[in-house]
Amino acid sequence: MKFKIQRDDLLTPLQQVIGAVEKRQTLPALANVLIKANENDLSIIATDLEIELVSRINQVMDQPGEITLPAKKLLDICKSLPADAEISIDVDVDRALVKSGRSRFTLATLPASDFPALDEITSVHEFTLPQNILKELIDRTAFAMAQQDVRYYLNGLMMEVASGLIRTVATDGHRLAFCEKTIEGDQVDSKQVIIPRKGVTELQRLLSDTDEPVKVVLGNNHIQCELQNQRFTSKLIDGRFPDYKRVMPEAEGNTMLVDREMLKQALIRASILSNEKYRGIRVILGDSLLKLQAQNPDQEEADVELEINYTGLPMEVGMNVTYMLDVLNTSSQELVQAMIKDANSSCLLTFPEESQAKYVIMPMRL
Amino acid sequence: MLDMNAFFASVEMRDFPELRGRPVAVTNGLDGTCIITCSYEARAAGIHTGMRLYEARQRCPELVQRAARPEVYAQVSTRIMDALTQVCPDVEVFSVDEAFIDMTASQRLYGTPIRIAYLLRRAVYQASGLLSSIGVSGDKTTAKFAAKQNKPNGFTVIPPWEARQHLKHVPVTALCGIAQGIGRFLAERGVHVCGDMVRLPIGELAKRFGNPGRRIWYMAQGADPEPLHYEVAAPKSIGHGKVMPPDTRSRDVILTYLLHMSVKVCARMRRHDLEAMTYSIALNTRDGWIGSKQRLGIAGDDPRELYQLCLHTLEQCWQGQGVFQVQITALDPMPCKRQLDMFDTQSHAQRQKGQQLFQAVDAINERYGDLTLAPALLLNRSKMPNVIAPSWKPKGHRQSV
Repeated sequence: MKFKIQRDDLLTPLQQVIGAVEKRQTLPALANVLIKANENDLSIIATDLEIELVSRINQVMDQPGEITLPAKKLLDICKSLPADAEISIDVDVDRALVKSGRSRFTLATLPASDFPALDEITSVHEFTLPQNILKELIDRTAFAMAQQDVRYYLNGLMMEVASGLIRTVATDGHRLAFCEKTIEGDQVDSKQVIIPRKGVTELQRLLSDTDEPVKVVLGNNHIQCELQNQRFTSKLIDGRFPDYKRVMPEAEGNTMLVDREMLKQALIRASILSNEKYRGIRVILGDSLLKLQAQNPDQEEADVELEINYTGLPMEVGMNVTYMLDVLNTSSQELVQAMIKDANSSCLLTFPEESQAKYVIMPMRL
Repeated sequence: MLDMNAFFASVEMRDFPELRGRPVAVTNGLDGTCIITCSYEARAAGIHTGMRLYEARQRCPELVQRAARPEVYAQVSTRIMDALTQVCPDVEVFSVDEAFIDMTASQRLYGTPIRIAYLLRRAVYQASGLLSSIGVSGDKTTAKFAAKQNKPNGFTVIPPWEARQHLKHVPVTALCGIAQGIGRFLAERGVHVCGDMVRLPIGELAKRFGNPGRRIWYMAQGADPEPLHYEVAAPKSIGHGKVMPPDTRSRDVILTYLLHMSVKVCARMRRHDLEAMTYSIALNTRDGWIGSKQRLGIAGDDPRELYQLCLHTLEQCWQGQGVFQVQITALDPMPCKRQLDMFDTQSHAQRQKGQQLFQAVDAINERYGDLTLAPALLLNRSKMPNVIAPSWKPKGHRQSV
């Protein structure tokens, strides 16, 4: 295999796939990227056996071939070269010679046959939607995924398609984020998958704010997202996601309507003196008045008041301030609405102008 | 600083007059072979804390062995600390038999620090019938150093303005908190006695040890900046361990020990309204510690759940080799059930039933003694007595033996 390439043309695809390469690997080949040079294009592939990222570029190859090269080292070499540098890569039997200007690097290689391939995907569902819609679905919910919970099915994002709708739901048991969008095409059967946490992060990185299409393929064990020059594949979490409809509070109860930005700033101020570990604050709802109180282990106290639109019963409830801020940060809407039945029931947060996203937060005991 | 003289041994001699004037060594139960502490008569024969009993007997055949009574020591210690607080409210309980007292605020009431020190010592004697040593100075480290001089029943005053001069020829490792590691670091840089410290830039210590390093620099010059700590800090972990008959290979015996520790750890967490999600479960073998960190689905303090984790650990890590010691530690315990969960795996009713059960168990054990009500398996538990930790405190989560 032999080819010449502009530094940026190689750097971009490497950066796109490097997220799949784990810092420590069990198989030596997993520290490498697979480089497939065809006559007229070049693919770079990285995997950790759970997700696989492929990036393609059009490039005339002097001599086609397949080889794996150390991912991190190749990336660092590209990064360290000047922006307009031309790189030539020439693969001998078990060494690759990387040259640019007066710099030469000899890298160890592993044969392409050592590189693990993901299982074939049998498509069960296929649909296409604009990238920015998929990105929004993920961005508005992914923050609520659990981290290293023993309920492993919570350590991922649930994606569900059914009759013209696509939904994403994430929850760690303390809070839940829900987002729903319409998609074209008529799915007769509904299909639910759970994408593992790392896959979600990489997919988020891949998607951009354009309306260019992304083709999503759902298999029994995999999800695949195909962009113009990139392909993302992830194994799915084999588990039963909890019934999110059951924990959505019904839309009745004491309702507060408040300016999102003002509430956010008030929460940030109160949070300074909340317990750094538990992040609990006391939320006191009274007639048109919201009080936020925080206290830390040093017995320092914050007391923040805010005028709100509230006509419900007077109420005092404990809340994790980080969970509330996470929700407020997902939207740029002017108003936010909170609905809560009592201090032991979940709180429903919505943005009145955007009905597609809903957030549920469980309170803390005071 | 007030420091009790050979505390456990003194309590024994107070309660059993026939022991007075004789060399006494306290061990953990009569099966214990390691000397926890010994009377001054025994120390005169060259016996010291940590020595093996057979070795001590060789040096002093008339040595009297006493089994430790940790519950009594805890009680006496509480009474001593209360008595100190009656005289001077600003007391930091440093260990089971040591306390720092800040006399600053009490001087208007009682007069000079020396007079206050006499009052404190008298109060301790009246409360416990025991003698103590006192060191008076302007900072914690110098006061502790002073209290260790002229024991037993010492009374050493180092005025703050003389502290630096006084420590000048004292080896740095004689100060509390400077052990071998830091001592070696200092020796490599030519600092052997406290007087050498001033030549070493404070930044050298800060770079290697951070703020504790800076503190050491000041300590050696009789100017320890550390304030007294009156509150017991929130626990970073809660654990219990036990030494087993050497080389135990019976799975049942090991499980009994693990259950015993599970029950103890959980009871202690419940007493302080704590719960934990992650537990370290470890077995000491000939080749060192084996074991694992295990997580519960939801943070809890139920010994039945913890025992399940023990079974997992044994399954995963133990290949039948001899075990010498077990240890279970709840990592990062948090105040109970603060954050509510939407998918509690246990139904609410079931959880409440569990809580009621343990409330009843705890109430009975509080009244009739630990493990009065316990899982039946623990009928076979080790008869080895509880051990009082040096870090024991009269308040908070360290109040347990």
